Amino acid sequence: MNKKNIENIIALSEEMRWQIGDDFHDNLAESIYADASKIVEDVVTKDYQKSKFRLDAKIDKIVTSRIWGFPIMLFILGMILWLTIIGANYPSSMLATLLLDNIHPVLKMVGANIGFPWWLNGFLFDGVYLSVAWVIAVMLPPMAIFFPLFTLLEDFGYLPRVAFNMDSLLKKSGAHGKQALTMSMGFGCNAAGVVATRIIDSPRERLIAIITNNFSLCNGRWPTQILLATIFIGAVVPESYSSFASLSAVIGIAVLGIFFMFFFSWALSQTVLKGEVSTFNLELPPYRPPLFWKTIYTSLIDRTLIVLWRAIVFAAPAGAVIWLISNVYIGNESIASWTVHSLDGFGFLLGLNGVILLAYIVAIPANEIVIPTILMLTVMVTGIQGGEGNGVMFELSSVTATAEILKAGGWSLLTAVNVMLFSLLHNPCSTTIYTIYKETNSVKWTLVASILPVIAGFIITFLVAQIWRILI
Amino acid sequence: MIYNPITALVSFFGICILLFFVFRPKKGIYFLLKKAYSQKDKIIMEDILKYLYHNQMSDNSITTNDLTNALNFSNSILIENLKKMMENELLVLDKDNYKLTPKGNEYALQIIRAHRLWEKYLSEKTGFDKEEWHERAEEKEHELSANEMNQLSNLLGNPKFDPHGDPIPTSKGKIARRKGIPLSSLKENTIGKIIHIEDEPDVIYKQILAENIHLYSTIRVIENNSNRIVFHSEGEQFILAPIVAGNITVLVFEKEQINEENIARLSSLNLSEKAKIVGLSKECRGENRRRLLDLGFVKGAVIAVDLLNPLGDPKAYLIKGTAIALRENQASKILITKINDEK
Repeated sequence: MNKKNIENIIALSEEMRWQIGDDFHDNLAESIYADASKIVEDVVTKDYQKSKFRLDAKIDKIVTSRIWGFPIMLFILGMILWLTIIGANYPSSMLATLLLDNIHPVLKMVGANIGFPWWLNGFLFDGVYLSVAWVIAVMLPPMAIFFPLFTLLEDFGYLPRVAFNMDSLLKKSGAHGKQALTMSMGFGCNAAGVVATRIIDSPRERLIAIITNNFSLCNGRWPTQILLATIFIGAVVPESYSSFASLSAVIGIAVLGIFFMFFFSWALSQTVLKGEVSTFNLELPPYRPPLFWKTIYTSLIDRTLIVLWRAIVFAAPAGAVIWLISNVYIGNESIASWTVHSLDGFGFLLGLNGVILLAYIVAIPANEIVIPTILMLTVMVTGIQGGEGNGVMFELSSVTATAEILKAGGWSLLTAVNVMLFSLLHNPCSTTIYTIYKETNSVKWTLVASILPVIAGFIITFLVAQIWRILI
Repeated sequence: MIYNPITALVSFFGICILLFFVFRPKKGIYFLLKKAYSQKDKIIMEDILKYLYHNQMSDNSITTNDLTNALNFSNSILIENLKKMMENELLVLDKDNYKLTPKGNEYALQIIRAHRLWEKYLSEKTGFDKEEWHERAEEKEHELSANEMNQLSNLLGNPKFDPHGDPIPTSKGKIARRKGIPLSSLKENTIGKIIHIEDEPDVIYKQILAENIHLYSTIRVIENNSNRIVFHSEGEQFILAPIVAGNITVLVFEKEQINEENIARLSSLNLSEKAKIVGLSKECRGENRRRLLDLGFVKGAVIAVDLLNPLGDPKAYLIKGTAIALRENQASKILITKINDEK
């Protein structure tokens, strides 16, 4: 073919493109769908019109009604949280007795008997073993209760209705209705909440849900909140109101977290995430009775054990670090006390102290070990009686004894309030950070998700501390 | 320095204000510096070409003064660049009026191609708001090379029109002539189709967006006088000021081709009614459009409202035996005809 012919053909094809117009792709797609639906109409017979929709429609009418929709939702979420927090206490304390009080001394003795030097014994059992055991004891029971309950609701088909109800609230901050679900899941565990964002198929809304999930107060942080509220907040009101006051303080922190979730969702969707594609659709599947045992099994394997495994992987080195910084000396000061003293100034500015900041740095792998680390470091730095020795985390069975150590460490009501705030607003634990990286596959979004809450925490605690000191 | 909570607070807010002035959107020092740095000759030259091209299309003659007024560059830079462009045979001076040479015309078309392709890209592949498309394309048009434009065009399936209805020039510099007349000059009872919505000036464009008027929708003019223009489209009534309506271009139907009067938007469907889907509006783009097609929102599908929301939005619709929730702004882009159930 000569060159002129080819040019003619190309010119002709360009001309025809103009004639076909832009609708061409759409028309093709539409006609394929139309054909398919015609075939379906001819071949498939359906009789669900009659029976199936009646009961579904009735349940739907109630759970999405103006009057009952929201109360039912809040009641169910409250129930699940209550069951988790209360119900986890017993297995948790049993595990703690077994792993911390019984097995730990035995392991140390065995170590000593087979001739481990003191440092290896301490490093392995006081450091690595203890922090792993701690994470398992505190983390496993609540997750083993929370996730199966949540998965049962999901299987039943109720959760999409929650997303449906909540959507217009979340839309205002640029988020997807399903974020209500991932946020609730975050109350159990942020890492699991981040994994759960897979249900959101719009890229922008999914990133928002991932980055803001950390503002849900997770299981690892509830005990810290409850302990501090009991010791410090409960003490400022008359005794008959003290449990009410401390409970309201904890709930207040959780609600504050929801507020920050809304605020940062809005801020992110207005700025850095503006260009990401945003779509919406939400299928409301028919209700069905959940497959009870199968659900329990898969939720234990898929959610609880995977998250627990990641937590252990990260907790082990953290235990090693905690032991090392308290037992390695530079000059005549351990690394830990040296760091504590250099962080004290900045800590004071935030209404915290060096011990707390160091505890949050070494406890990045798991929020559960923040309080034991704080207690250990406080005893070490102040040199008061008590504790188990340098680098050995401990917790006290009595609240008053814990309160005494903290007060000896210079804690005031302001410190407690700011630790509660900082516990809500700080970087996600390393399990969550790793999960965020796995889910987004992007260093950039992982960094944003990790640093954003810490900055918020610094600003909020700083402001609270200054205003507190001016007013009181 | 001695610590005092008040000084600490004051210095904190001082830093905040400083950061605000540096990074404030558009007017911040950081952005101003960035812009000043990037004001290269290329951008100035291309802006001049584009301005001349648009005015030549509407038969306006342009003097140096007009250019200084319209473009945001200092007089000396402008004149220097105009000189350079005449040396390069992009323009000629004809009795104080600047005119594009064929070479200049071709160059201008390529910038317009870049601008419109980028707007199309933003509309199809990103989540930016309509209001931002134009401004972002204004910056990007100077950065795209011919090769990148072709790749972009391929990626988008060689689009013919940008999301406002403007034709996109081809890589050879061919461009379709725009037909149609402004909405403000239509007589009452005319039926036509909106084929173009002008995105400049910003103020008027935002008003049109706020009204939720859809490109490529069929309209019927009900009233037209010096105060207002009333028209029906997709089952809704719209009232516009003539100056706003002037920025909407309509292609008038010669004969009464199809009677599309009973077309409505899905958002207007009531709880007990049933409807048949006529199609998706052209305003439903990109990922959203594909998702809706996947879910079965195609021509001929029967649809009904399944569930109302305690907060009003979204609503759940029953389509092909499945309940699917859609937000109001999505439902308004699905066109239906209501079915009267009188069997």
